[in-house]
Amino acid sequence: MKFLVNLAFKNLFRHKRRTMITSIAIAVGLALFILIDSMLVGIEEDSTRNLVLYETGSARIMDAQFWEEHENLPLKHSIDNPQPILEDLEAAGIDAAPRTVFRGELIMQKDPYPESGSIQAQITAIDPQRDPQVYLIDESISAGRFLKEDRLEAVVGAWLAEDIGAQVGYPLTIVTRTKEGFFQTIDLEIVGLANTPNPVVNRTGIFIPIKTADYYLQMDGSVTQIDTSFPYQADIKKQTSKIRSVALEDRPDLTIVDWKILGKDFVALAAAKSAGSKVILFLVFIIAAVGISNTMLMSVYERIREIGMLRALGMRRHEIRLAFLIEAGGIGLIGASVGVLIGVLLNIPLVNNGIDYSALMRDADMGYRITGIMRGLWSTATILTAFFTGVVLSVLMAFIPTRKALKLQITDALRYQ
Amino acid sequence: MHTAHKKTLLLIGILLSVSMLSSLPLFAISAEEIIRKLEENQVHETARSEGKMIINDRFGEKVTTFKSWAEGEEKTLIEFTSRQERGQKILRTDDEIYLYFPDAAEVIRLQGAALRDSVLGSDMSYEDMTGGKGLLDSYRATLLGTEKIDGQECYKIELKAKGRGVPYPREILWVDSEIFVTRRVHMFSLSEKLLKEMRIEEYRSLKGKTFPVRFIIEDKMKRNSSTEFVIESIEIGVDIPSSRFSLEELTW
Repeated sequence: MKFLVNLAFKNLFRHKRRTMITSIAIAVGLALFILIDSMLVGIEEDSTRNLVLYETGSARIMDAQFWEEHENLPLKHSIDNPQPILEDLEAAGIDAAPRTVFRGELIMQKDPYPESGSIQAQITAIDPQRDPQVYLIDESISAGRFLKEDRLEAVVGAWLAEDIGAQVGYPLTIVTRTKEGFFQTIDLEIVGLANTPNPVVNRTGIFIPIKTADYYLQMDGSVTQIDTSFPYQADIKKQTSKIRSVALEDRPDLTIVDWKILGKDFVALAAAKSAGSKVILFLVFIIAAVGISNTMLMSVYERIREIGMLRALGMRRHEIRLAFLIEAGGIGLIGASVGVLIGVLLNIPLVNNGIDYSALMRDADMGYRITGIMRGLWSTATILTAFFTGVVLSVLMAFIPTRKALKLQITDALRYQ
Repeated sequence: MHTAHKKTLLLIGILLSVSMLSSLPLFAISAEEIIRKLEENQVHETARSEGKMIINDRFGEKVTTFKSWAEGEEKTLIEFTSRQERGQKILRTDDEIYLYFPDAAEVIRLQGAALRDSVLGSDMSYEDMTGGKGLLDSYRATLLGTEKIDGQECYKIELKAKGRGVPYPREILWVDSEIFVTRRVHMFSLSEKLLKEMRIEEYRSLKGKTFPVRFIIEDKMKRNSSTEFVIESIEIGVDIPSSRFSLEELTW
């Protein structure tokens, strides 16, 4: 056995160029595999976090009827008297913030705007005191300041502001309907621009103080939703049932919906993209496998005469096979080690700094909730998979041609061209 | 002191009676009566008309032609005849609005927020077409006085919504004091901003009734946005089969 291992390693170092080329093929394939996986998982993880922290919260309490018709945002189905619910949640240590979401038409007039015009928009009324418990909009103000309670002011998504030509200090009029159905106009001043890591908020977000909305929309203290926040990794079912038992026992009219359902467009997309990612990874894997098998095939075929000679010298078939497999395993080991090393080294800046795709993400809506910097993510499982795949695949790919070569008569093998 | 007090009271009394007498001709008719007369004049048993809608916005001018059939206040069928919209129909029965698109061969019932959409990009929403109930059912009317509009003496009437169910919480109507037709309407938002203005530019009298045949609706929130309606031909008191306003007929 020791002899076979020695022989295999001697062969490895005797054919330095071949060993190097084969190892590089393996290394490049595996490094690519590690990096692409890191990136795809990283994007999904960041997107999920940005969805929860800027768009949906962890779970949302709504009137059951509102949820049923949520596409129309019917203000008439809002949560009356939300204060006791907020107090109960606070007492139980659950972060919560009331919000009122409504539709309206934004009216822009030439001077100061570059053009007169109007656009349909979804406006979110937030409690400037409580909202930061659930969302991070207040930390993403890129110009101006965050909202103050009870004022006629708005914070607008930075990309939306850019699209309509708005700046801090510009007036903004919203034409909407009150809870009673009457036409209403709200004259606001833009006091801040929000540049969050979530492109949906940047592209469409308009935030106003909830007390202002309450007065202008005739809400009488009601709100359309109470958004809650719980630790990202927490069990969703456990947390929602806790919220239900803490605050909703005596409110059968209300329902609670978690972020996976609220962000179902994204969740469905993430699932579809995850399947897509697997295809990409599979392709990378195939490329690596073809590279490995091709070089292994060549290295075995070009040595069929050598196999014939070893057999003529009296070596048994299984011994020769083992020697070749050990040699292939050795190449796999070198390639996999180098590949993992390159993958890990390149992944360090990818995880820490990421790649800036902002120019691309600004104009293209890819569905992911990231604004531009795509960061990688460490995955021990992927690194280990890559390493073992490299070694095992090399051995497997050497097995087939060796078997074929060993089936030949010694004389045929010796004369093999 | 006592005599001085009496004199003051007498003076106030005289002033009050004079001011009441002077305002008598103005308020000889109540706001409700004016509205009733106006509605009598503008609502027909049955009417068949043809006309066009000219939409002006920052993209330019667009003309859409249509034919319409109406029965009372609550049943209307509009069929668009201009090339781009040919065959599209809007049917209004009571408080329901249905749209028919020939390309999709499909009838859509408009409800909820969709009612607030504008009709073919005009300054009129589908909702503006609903609400056949009389104005006095939904609004409390107050006579504010008289004003001249285009040289005609008009009653200025304020309408305030009695409750939910109407889009405009307050409207001001200028009703011609001689022929009892609306000359101008202002529609306000809850925070008192003027949203829309309707100006009636031309009238026609037929069978003892006078009704508008050219009017302009302007969205006051947007610059350079207006829609002009022109009724080019109209017949009233014609026979319209009731099936004309049925869903089955809509798809024909």
